[in-house]
Formats: sequence, structure tokens, C-alpha cells
Amino acid sequence: MNTENVLSRRFFVSVTARPKTIVTIGILFIVLFAIWIPDLKKDTRADAFIPPNHPALQMRDRTKQLFGLEDPLVIAVINEGKYGIFNPHTLALVDWLTERVKRLPQIDPDRVTSLATENNIIGTDDGMLVEPFFEHPPTRQAQADRVEAAVMDFPLYLGSLVARNGQGTLIVAELKNPELAQQAYLSVLSLAEQAPVNQHEHLHIAGEGAVSGYMGAYIDADAVRLDPIAAIIISSICLLAFRTWRGMLLPNLVVLATAGGALGLMAACGVSFFVITNALPVVLIGIAVADSIHILSEYYQRVAEDPTANARTLVVDTMTEMWKPVTLTSLTTMAGFCGLSLASLMPPMRYFGLFAFVGVAVAWVYSLFVVPALLTLLKPRLSRAYPASRGVDDFGKMLTALGRVVIRFPKSIIAISSLVVIAGGIGATRIKLDENTIRVFDREEPLYIADGVLNRLFDGTYYLDILIETPAAEALFEPDNLRRIEALETFLSTLPHVGGSTSIVDYLKQMNRALNEGRADAYRLPESADLAAQYLLLYSASADPKDFEKEVDYDNRLANVRARLNDGRYSAKKMVIEATQNYIDRQFDALGIQARLSGRVNVDYHWIKRLGESHAVSVAISLALVWLMAVLSFRSATAGTLALLPVLVTILMIYSVMGFNDIWLSISSSMFAAIAIGLGVDFSIHTLERLHNLTRRKRQTIDQAILNLYPATGRALLFNFAALALGFGVLAISKVVILQDFGLLVAVAIATSFLCSMTLLPALVKVLRPRFFVAEETLAPLIKLSGERS
Amino acid sequence: MKVFSAIIVIFFSATVSAAELPSGDEVARRINARDEGEAVSRLLTMQMTDADGKTRIRKTKGFRKYYGAEKRTVIYYLEPRNIKGTAFLTYDYPEAGKDDDQWLYLPALRKVRRISASDRGDYFLGTDFTYEDIKLESRVSLNDYVRKTLGESEIDGFHCLLLESVPVNAEIAEELGYGRIEQWVDDSVWIVRAAKMWDVQGNPLKTVHFKDIRQVQGIWTQHELEVTNHKTGHRTRFVFSDVNYRDGVGDAVFTQNALKRGL
Repeated sequence: MNTENVLSRRFFVSVTARPKTIVTIGILFIVLFAIWIPDLKKDTRADAFIPPNHPALQMRDRTKQLFGLEDPLVIAVINEGKYGIFNPHTLALVDWLTERVKRLPQIDPDRVTSLATENNIIGTDDGMLVEPFFEHPPTRQAQADRVEAAVMDFPLYLGSLVARNGQGTLIVAELKNPELAQQAYLSVLSLAEQAPVNQHEHLHIAGEGAVSGYMGAYIDADAVRLDPIAAIIISSICLLAFRTWRGMLLPNLVVLATAGGALGLMAACGVSFFVITNALPVVLIGIAVADSIHILSEYYQRVAEDPTANARTLVVDTMTEMWKPVTLTSLTTMAGFCGLSLASLMPPMRYFGLFAFVGVAVAWVYSLFVVPALLTLLKPRLSRAYPASRGVDDFGKMLTALGRVVIRFPKSIIAISSLVVIAGGIGATRIKLDENTIRVFDREEPLYIADGVLNRLFDGTYYLDILIETPAAEALFEPDNLRRIEALETFLSTLPHVGGSTSIVDYLKQMNRALNEGRADAYRLPESADLAAQYLLLYSASADPKDFEKEVDYDNRLANVRARLNDGRYSAKKMVIEATQNYIDRQFDALGIQARLSGRVNVDYHWIKRLGESHAVSVAISLALVWLMAVLSFRSATAGTLALLPVLVTILMIYSVMGFNDIWLSISSSMFAAIAIGLGVDFSIHTLERLHNLTRRKRQTIDQAILNLYPATGRALLFNFAALALGFGVLAISKVVILQDFGLLVAVAIATSFLCSMTLLPALVKVLRPRFFVAEETLAPLIKLSGERS
Repeated sequence: MKVFSAIIVIFFSATVSAAELPSGDEVARRINARDEGEAVSRLLTMQMTDADGKTRIRKTKGFRKYYGAEKRTVIYYLEPRNIKGTAFLTYDYPEAGKDDDQWLYLPALRKVRRISASDRGDYFLGTDFTYEDIKLESRVSLNDYVRKTLGESEIDGFHCLLLESVPVNAEIAEELGYGRIEQWVDDSVWIVRAAKMWDVQGNPLKTVHFKDIRQVQGIWTQHELEVTNHKTGHRTRFVFSDVNYRDGVGDAVFTQNALKRGL
């Protein structure tokens, strides 16, 4: 027996010496973790995906604060009938909704905007009128027609407050406090249900305020559905694998500790629960059982070999055999998550990687301490899956058949794998980076539908803000500066996906027109800075000057130009941002005026832009760490490299699936690789470790070793694979669409890694005959033999 | 806020019972009976500060004259430069149903423009005073509110009566923008020294402080008004100077032609 085995044996002898103490401590820690979990705080904001100190986010927040821009809740009133929304019934409905929304406790009544609250700026023969579009909703169609004529003659509201085709209008409500989003969304939903709607009218609720309001409830409901399903599936797999109660309950104890440890520590560290964190418990459930499955497989096999053996001896023997692969696979899985955590720019992914890492570490500690301690306390019992006759069950037989195929056709297997590698290389070049934030929701969700309707009928729900800065108070009104802003808006209107834009320029033009007897040709900028300033003073005499607070700051130095995009895809945003930045670089170069991009669209552009990069870095870090780990633990560069091969084939396989099926590299798909590497390599490690043992310690030939690999290790790996694939597969039924994609990709990746470890890896070992798998004293003749053969 | 809580505490600990104090209507009558002068000219500096501390300062010269119950006001802007010469003329009619007339002269356009009558609860030229506040000046409205004298109090060292006014109905409350008002009325000269307003929903809305109250040509005059809007964080400070009741104001000042001619 080598020193490593002596040491490990001594270690497990002491672990099993005080089993009750260890089990008690183990349970105490689970309770301790559980106590923290209720402190977890949800953070479902889209902003959570970007580091809080990112310049794009800070710029957006500055613009928000300067102009009092809040993420609103939006109710769209749609009427696709003959008169559109301009009929007495629909206008009364707008008025009804506006009044009731104002009374909701979460809504700031002074910041509700709709046709029922907004003013028209009208030119008269001797002056200017600023008055509501209607004081009381019209009662006759002729009056409604007059409202329509007035609205359609007011360019500022077209596309933003009222659909250009007259078939929809919005009620925009700002929250008193963004934390009230969830209650506000529910209150508005119930208002919409009570609203007196006729058969032509439809209501949709949307807006950033609604999204964040709904997301909280949405992910809660998702977790409540997914977590029990994952737990049931995993328990069933364990039951099927071992057909004993302890075979099912023991892994579940590790699951409790793993998920509890990760989430409890998250809470204790004050890290929020993000949208993608919903996947964490499900993922950890699958990973946590893997170690137990391998330990229990070995344990039951040993019970079958000697049913009378003493419990403690049995456990010490089992653990001496299994601690190494269990440790190795835990380390490589941790390396994978570490790669994700280190490479990602996005806090939710970084923390996902970090706490999955913690979870795997907890699972490892429990597998090495609590599982053996508990098994020591239990009287050894035969499992029906491992009969005393040393027979092999159907699963074992199935895998042994696979082993025979590998021994017979190793070169074909290598050739097929090479094809996958080539296809993957080609596929990888075809992958497009893209994302659409509304994609979080199911296509059937009212919010998803509302987003579609709003972007079809209105100018768009995605805002790009452009902050215009001049050097001194009142300098904004210099004619040259106003003309630059006007030209910027004209430029924006030429870009695809930009539905429209609004700035102080539009208000000044409307006032200029009103003060020139309402002549259409006077819809242009005032001729002097003084006139612009006097228009604003005039406006303040007629209406509330706060009407412009979203367009211009208090001392007329800064302005906000808001462009509305009707496409939420990153590719659309990227095009608009890059074109606009280019325009600004050329046109806003004067010392007197500067322009900077801001708003949600700019924030999204900046973090999604980094997805591709962080994906590549996370793959590189994970591969390097996993390779290093495998080389060090096998003390062989060849074995380490071999361990990595199935993982490489897997990743290329997924790339070819993505590239040929137009699956975007997105939030969900960019996360799969690091995790697939960390998990996929486990199969290789178990395979190589067992082959090494069989050839070097038990002195079997490579063919014998390959055949003997399947009934035990192969069978354990099959259940390990089933637990992981089904665990991740549960995510496919998530309502959070990005988790669906993520779960499916990882499940496919795990299946590929498992298959590769069971086919490609033994085939390579057979064909290449690396020294690592050849008993030392037989090494020389074997080389000769293989040389003769070839 | 603290000042007012303290005042309320003082009020509740007062030993004099409310029954001995003049009624709310009596207090209002006394306030409105005070001489305001038939006509006045004065300089007014309006200082407006938003929640972030950014400030606008506008200097104006104003004239006001009563024609019976009708009141005419004109304001000429002196500073800043880009609105210099802009002038604002208002005729306030006493009849309840009749809209006020308003004109604005824009020097950059060289045109006088009529502008829509404002609602009584609208804010006046970007300040924290409503048109109704400006129209009433130091008086109180008799018909819009039901009043009660709550007790005695003290502000800036002056003995005051605490007067509560509640709009007569919901419609008036909505129109004025106030759900309730408390005013600290100095009962030695019958002038308001401070006021607190609540919005229609009952949230604290504004606090007004009248300072530097002294006699000018025999007429008690508030020289400094400070108002803070608690909902928006916006503040307004009015400082009056060169107040002159004696020299009279010619009728021609209150015409559209005078606006064009300027000062």
C-alpha cells in the first residue's frame, strides 16, 4: 500500500471514530445556514446586471437625477376600431384610469401623464393658449374628433403619448418609490380588470416599472415550481440507483447542506438574489448528489462483496478508494465556477459562479465527513441494485455492451469525434452575440405581449438619452446650440429602430408656432436666445414650468434628448449607439457644447457588449484551471490533457448547435461553457482515475481495464450524468426564458461529456496507450508489442 | 417642521380657552379690513431654488392698483438680461365666474400676447405661490373656507392667533390645491406672520414665513416672504423694497401700450 493510501486510511479511521459528533455538527451547520436564508434580498432590476460603478450606469443615474426621470408604469389603452381611441367611450376610459391611478398609494399623483392630464399649446390670433386637451371627457363624437385634431396637430405627443395612427394612447405613472414596484404593478393590474372596457378596447400594462414589479413575483413563483421538481427527480434517480432509503436520503442531506450553505452565505454576505440566482439551487441539487452517488456505488459494491463486513471498516475502505476522485471532481467543478466568476463583468454571474463554488465546496466537505460518519452509524445492508452474487444489473449490462463497442471500433469513435470538432470550429465562427431583455419572460406573458403591442403602435419603449451640456447657465438657448440639438434629432430619425425623439427644441418650436398665430410654417426654432428664454417665461405664466423638467435643467444649461427605440435586441441598440456616437464625435466637437450618451439603451449596450469577451475569458480560465488541476492530481500532463478532451469536444459540439441554429451568444448561453467544463471534466476524471487504478494497481491490460470500467464506474457515471442532466433539464420548464436556454445547453453539454468519457476517452487510451495506463514492469514489452502490431 | 410641532405643543398647553378668542370669521374680517393702500409701486426680487440648490434670481418692478374690487397688476422684469423688458399685466375681476385677463409682452418678439387665464391653484411664474396666493396678497379669502380659531400661539416673538381654514367643499379644495391651511395671525396688527398648507390628500404641502413686517407710510407691509414646498423641495423667496403707497400709480401703466413702452 502506498503512503497516500496509508494517510487517507488513517484520516478516515479518525473521521469514523466520532461519527455522532460529526453528524451533529453537520446538522447544526445546516440549521445555521437556514437561519440566514430569510434575510436574502431579491434584486430583479435590469440594472443589477451591470457593476454599480460602471460609467454607463453612473451616467444614466446622473441623467435620471438631473431630469427627474423615473422608470414608469405604463398603461396602454388600445382601440383598433373605426375611430381609434378618439371616441367618447375610450377617452372617458383614459380619464377614468388616470384618476384612479393617481389615487393608488404607490403612485405619485403629480407625476401621472396621459391625454387627460396634458396640455395643448395653441396659437390664437392675439396670443397663446395652454390648456388641457379636454377638461371633461367628450360626450359626443364631434367633440372627440376635435380632441383628435388637436392631438394630431401637436407633434410632441405623437408616437410618445398617442399612437401615430390614433389607435392607442398611454397613461404613464411614476412610482413614489421604486421599491413599491411589485405592489404598484398588482394594483394597476386589478384596476385594469375593473376598468369599463368595451369590446374594441384593450389594456396592456408595460414599462420598466412594471417589469421590475413583476419580476419579483415571477421568479418567486418559478422557484416554488422548480426546486421541488428538481428535488423529486434527484431523489428518484438515487432511489433507482441504490433502491434503499439511505441511498435516497443521504444524498438529500448533502443537497440540503449545499443549497443551504450557498444561499445562507449569500444572505450572510448581503449578496442579493438575482434573476439568474433562481438557477443556483437547481444546479447545486444536481451537483451535490454526484459525490454521494460515487461513494454509495463503491459502498454498495463492497457490501455486496462482503455482506458481513463491519460498518466502519467498510466505510474506511470505501472512502480510501473514493476520496481522490471525489476531491478531484469537486476541485475541477469549482475551477469551472471560478472561471465564470472571475471572467464575468456582471454581478449576477460573478456571484452565481462564486456561490456555486461555495456550494460545491460544502458538498465536498459533507461528502468527506458527514456521509462516511452517517454510514458508520448505519448497519450495512445489501442493495438490490448490487446483489451479493457480484452480478451486474441491467444498467451495468447496458454499459458493458457500450464498452465492447468501444474496444471494437475505437478509431471510428475518434473519427466521429473529430467531425464534431470540425463542425464546432465552423459553428463557432457563425455565432452571433445578441440579447433582448424582454426575453426573460415567456412569450405568453402579458408583459411580453404588451411590449410587442407598444413597440408596434408607438415610437418605442427603449430609451436612449443624450445629455447635452453647455458651459454656462442659459447657454443652451444660443441659436447655434439649439440648432445642433435639432440636427441631432433629425439624424436620429434617420436611424432604423428609432421611432422618435423628444427634446426642449420640440417645445420651443411648438411655442414659436403658437406665438405666430399657429401657422404651420412657424414650427421652427426661435431666432434668438432671448426669445427662447422669454418663451419659457411665457410658458410659466400659462402653465406649470415643471412640464419641461424632463427636457431641460433648472438653469437652462443642460438638456436631455430622448430617443425611443422600438427594438429591444442588442444588435439594434448597438447599431443606434455606434451611429449616434459617431455623429456626436463629429458634430458636438465645439467647446461650447457637448453631448454624451446615456439611458437604459446605453447601459444595456455596454454590459451586453462585454458578454462575448467575458465568455471567451471564462472558457479560457476554466479550461486552464481544470487542466492544471487534472495534471497536478494525476501527476501526468498526458492524463490531464486527455481529461480535457471530452470537454473540448462538448464545447465545440454546443458551438456547432448554436452556430447552425442561430442561437445567440446571450446572457444564458454565455454562462453554459464554464459550467459545462467544470462539470464535464468530472466524467473524464472518474474514467481516467479508474482506468489508471485498474491498469497500474490491479495490473490489468488496457482492454481488460476498459471492459471492467463500465459495470461499476460507468454505471455510477450514468447516474451521476442522469442527476446532473435532469437537474439542469428542470430549468427547461422554468418560466424565466433565459434559464430555460441555460438549462438545456448545460444538459446537452453534460450528455455530450458523459458520452465522450464513455467512448472517446477509452478509445483514445486504447489507441494511444499512454504510459500513464501501463503497469511499469510490463511497460517495455507492451511498447514492443504495440510497435509490432502497427 | 420642528418649529411647527413646537408651536402646536405651545398651543395645546395654552391656558386660555378657545371660547374667549375672536371667531375665525372675525379674525378674517379684521385681516381684510387692514389698509393695503389703493395703489403701490415696489421692487421685487424673486429667488427660486430647486431641490438640488440651483437658484434663479429675477428682479422686477411692480405696480398694483385697486379699481373698486377689481385689481390690476403689472410686473416688469429687470434682470436677468435675457428676459429684461418682459412685462406681465393682469386684470383680476371680483366676479366669481369671470376669468382674469392676462397679457405678456415679449421684447424679443416685440409683441404683446394674451395668455390663457390661469386656474386659481396654478403656480405663479414658476414660484411656489399660486395665482390665488398672489391675488390675495396679505388678505384672506372669505368665501372659500370655513374658519376656526384654534387658539393662541407665538411666532418670531409676536403673539398670534392660530387660524384654521378648511375649503367649503371638495371642488373648491381641488381648485385651490389646499386641503387645509393654518395661519399665525398677529392680533396686534392683524397680519399673517406664518402659514402652513396641506394638500387635498392631507399631506404637508407648503410652509410660508412672512418676515420683516414693518410700517411703510403708515401701512403694515410684509417685506420678505419665504415659502418651501415640502413635496418638491422647491423654495421661493420674495423680497420687496422701495415700497411706495404715497405717490400713486397712473392708470396708463396698466395698458398693453405701456407694456411695449417699458419702464
